[in-house]
Amino acid sequence: MGHTATPPPSLGGLTATEHRLANGLRVVLSEDHLTPVAAVCLWYDVGSRHEVAGRTGLAHLFEHLMFQGSAQVQGNGHFELVQGAGGSLNGSTSFERTNYYETMPAHELELALWLEADRMGSLLTALDDESMENQRDVVKNERRQRYDNVPYGTAFEKLTAMSYPDGHPYHHTPIGSMADLDAASLEDAREFFRTYYAPNNAVLSVVGDIDPEQTLAWIEKYFGSVPGHEGKKPPRDGTLPDVIGAENREIVEEEVPSRAVMAAYRLPHDGTRECDAADVALTALGGGESSRLNKRLVRRDRLAVGAGFGMLRLAGAPSLGWLDVKASGGVEVTAIEEAVDDELRRFAEEGPTPEEMERAQAQLEREWLDRLATVGGRADELCRYAVLFGDPQLALTAVQRVLDITPEEVRAVAAARLRPDNRAVLVYEPTEPSAADENDQSEEPAQ
Amino acid sequence: MSDAPTPAQTAAAGTSGTSMEFHPQPQGGRPKPWAFPAPDRSRLGNGLTVLRCHRPGQQVVAVDVSLVAPLDAEPEGLDGVATIMARAFSEGTDKLDAEQFADELERYGASLDAYADHASVRVSLEVPASRLHKALALLADALRAPAFPESEVERLVGNRLDEIPHELANPTRRAAKELAKELYPAGTRMSRPRQGTEETVARIDAKAVRAFYDAHVRPATATAVVVGDLDGIDVDAALADTLGAWTGSTAEPRRATPITADDTGRVVIVDRPGAVQTQLLIGRVGPDRHDRVWPAQVLGTYCLGGTLTSRLDRVLREEKGYTYGVRAFGQVLRSTADGTGAALLAISGSVATDVTAPALADLWQVLRTLAAEGLTEDERDVAVQNLVGVAPLKYETAAAVADTLAEQVEQQLPDDYQAQVYAKLAETGTVEATAAVVSAFPADRLVTILVGDASQIADSVRELGIGEVKVVSGN
Repeated sequence: MGHTATPPPSLGGLTATEHRLANGLRVVLSEDHLTPVAAVCLWYDVGSRHEVAGRTGLAHLFEHLMFQGSAQVQGNGHFELVQGAGGSLNGSTSFERTNYYETMPAHELELALWLEADRMGSLLTALDDESMENQRDVVKNERRQRYDNVPYGTAFEKLTAMSYPDGHPYHHTPIGSMADLDAASLEDAREFFRTYYAPNNAVLSVVGDIDPEQTLAWIEKYFGSVPGHEGKKPPRDGTLPDVIGAENREIVEEEVPSRAVMAAYRLPHDGTRECDAADVALTALGGGESSRLNKRLVRRDRLAVGAGFGMLRLAGAPSLGWLDVKASGGVEVTAIEEAVDDELRRFAEEGPTPEEMERAQAQLEREWLDRLATVGGRADELCRYAVLFGDPQLALTAVQRVLDITPEEVRAVAAARLRPDNRAVLVYEPTEPSAADENDQSEEPAQ
Repeated sequence: MSDAPTPAQTAAAGTSGTSMEFHPQPQGGRPKPWAFPAPDRSRLGNGLTVLRCHRPGQQVVAVDVSLVAPLDAEPEGLDGVATIMARAFSEGTDKLDAEQFADELERYGASLDAYADHASVRVSLEVPASRLHKALALLADALRAPAFPESEVERLVGNRLDEIPHELANPTRRAAKELAKELYPAGTRMSRPRQGTEETVARIDAKAVRAFYDAHVRPATATAVVVGDLDGIDVDAALADTLGAWTGSTAEPRRATPITADDTGRVVIVDRPGAVQTQLLIGRVGPDRHDRVWPAQVLGTYCLGGTLTSRLDRVLREEKGYTYGVRAFGQVLRSTADGTGAALLAISGSVATDVTAPALADLWQVLRTLAAEGLTEDERDVAVQNLVGVAPLKYETAAAVADTLAEQVEQQLPDDYQAQVYAKLAETGTVEATAAVVSAFPADRLVTILVGDASQIADSVRELGIGEVKVVSGN
């Protein structure tokens, strides 16, 4: 499928070169001199799927510890030095990887490389009980703020647990449980570093206004002597049957503002053509104002405040198609589910119309353009394809693969996967708020 | 910045027999010049002001249209009509019905967002450059000839009513609502929710939306900002038969009423029995961008709470672990050339329920220490280096540039304002930055909103002596 109405946007001739240091560190460079900025992105091939029972959340807690200093960097120096140089930085942990990134004014690129190398090679010389205890509390507050103290905040965690069986490496989400965060010890963190933080378990990408030769020389200078080591345990196998086989359903009675129906569908692994087809299907069904679910549930039947699909692409386990419908006042869950199932069934039978294909592909293409609009976004995508699929060049052709998908492939994946027996369903039923104390409305003096 | 310690050649790499070779911290190279982009300003025959800015490589073009339709122009009892109008722009035109309009927009990979704020209604289009012309035609039709169909407006009203309980359940939104109610005089638009209440939204219909549109939306008072890689695009031609075809009467811009606020130090607890965290929002109003102190206030506020290494997080997060992060910020509410505007100056974050009072005690101690001892030269230097240095990163995308340019127009600032701010930040000294932040956040003139479990926190908060404590129901 191409665009017949208008010419497609170009990807601007992006290129990337690949290198490998003797210690196994893979390096990807991409030049772009339009703006004097450079992005450094480092992906470690470790995520929550590598965690063991009783230590959920360790990969993410560890990511925090990476900002607590190393041999030559005092305390919060990593943050202070990058920000003081006019850069911005952060890190994040997901199921399949942990990433660290700095976006710098181009003339401060070397500093970011020096900092990343210092912690890759010497974190344990600085890691102590004090930072461990402090960051444990910070992460517990992150959990409270982002999940526990927000309406529907734990829906993703619940659905993930329902979608991947107990004991499966993706059964728990990266934030981990409070009990496991409490149980993690300094020795666990040390062992985690020794096991997973090695140059031969990482990919470094540098994108932007760079001199590739000079950049590579700096990388060799700072990272070249970091010893590589083997001994990484591969994650437990995440393979599962294509289809769950029976609907898995849970009703949550909680103090939430409205009824909601959420569901997770088991989808093909990332990196396959079927996964791209599923992306197009979910976009046509629930990816925007013009999608089928929005037209049916929000516009025509007025059952919902919002209705849509999202997608969590995963390479080491089935991906997830993520349905989220927040009910309009007074609407029953059965009415919502009937409308959703009706649309999914029709889509599986008829497939997308040519107009739907064009819209879905234009939207996905636009998402790519947004991701590639910043040097940081490009650096992250290059690392992603290098770590998960062994080839960073795939990042530069990803959008074309989505545009190559045919309507029949979209229909076929919808028919095979978007079925009631292939989903976990979470229904929220609001409870009355707890009765407020009589004094609550009164004003009382401070002292 | 402190320098790096002596290279630690002897430090064990911790994992294997061979250890890493350490090198001293590198010094940066010579900065390459970068300046906040200067737009070209012009005016179309219909009176529409156009700012355009070519950003090489930015293939998603951003078009921000700013309409002088401020919230305090909403008729009495119809709070939310500006919001419903903004949303209804994409519900059909004289050529397409609502569904067809959504189809066309997404067919081009375009997105259209609109929201109403105190200063104006902002309509933002983003689209791949190759399809700019077609998407501009849709945007122009939406502004020039919106259909505002009765049934679609009714649906938007219903949808908005359904959203309100979701907002009230969100601790951040709930805190913001309570702060506005406390801070601004009763009866002023600013004291009430931006998108209306259940009572006022329920009264809105297509007729009210049309009346608000007729009264306040016209090209003569509107500005369109076009930013992106415009290479090979005839922007004049694209504008001429789209936004250029929009007609309307000329009109005098409105005069805004001055913003006032009661910042008597006090505490309001919005009760959320069982909440595991307390959401903090501590604020008052102060100088906006037309005040000469603004750059110094930006600088001082960053030192107080701009990032993880600022004063607040250094204690509350990195020393005590009470929070995932607390930020101080200044956010312009409305800024006008006649000086009647103001900015909200606030500290926001959430802390674990059982450490609410200790966290507030530490927060106040940070403010008192700052007032007593001032900022250090180092702090000021690092803050300037960050605020000025990150500009090329912050303004990488077309949307970020368009947003700032549109904001400048809405706040009646010159087109080179942001560029000037960067020059002024570099000249601002430690003494000025200290004076600005201390005056922005006086420890005894702050209104504190706490969304949390009153039974757990009220008594200990009373003992802090940061003002009278009132508990209100969270429902």
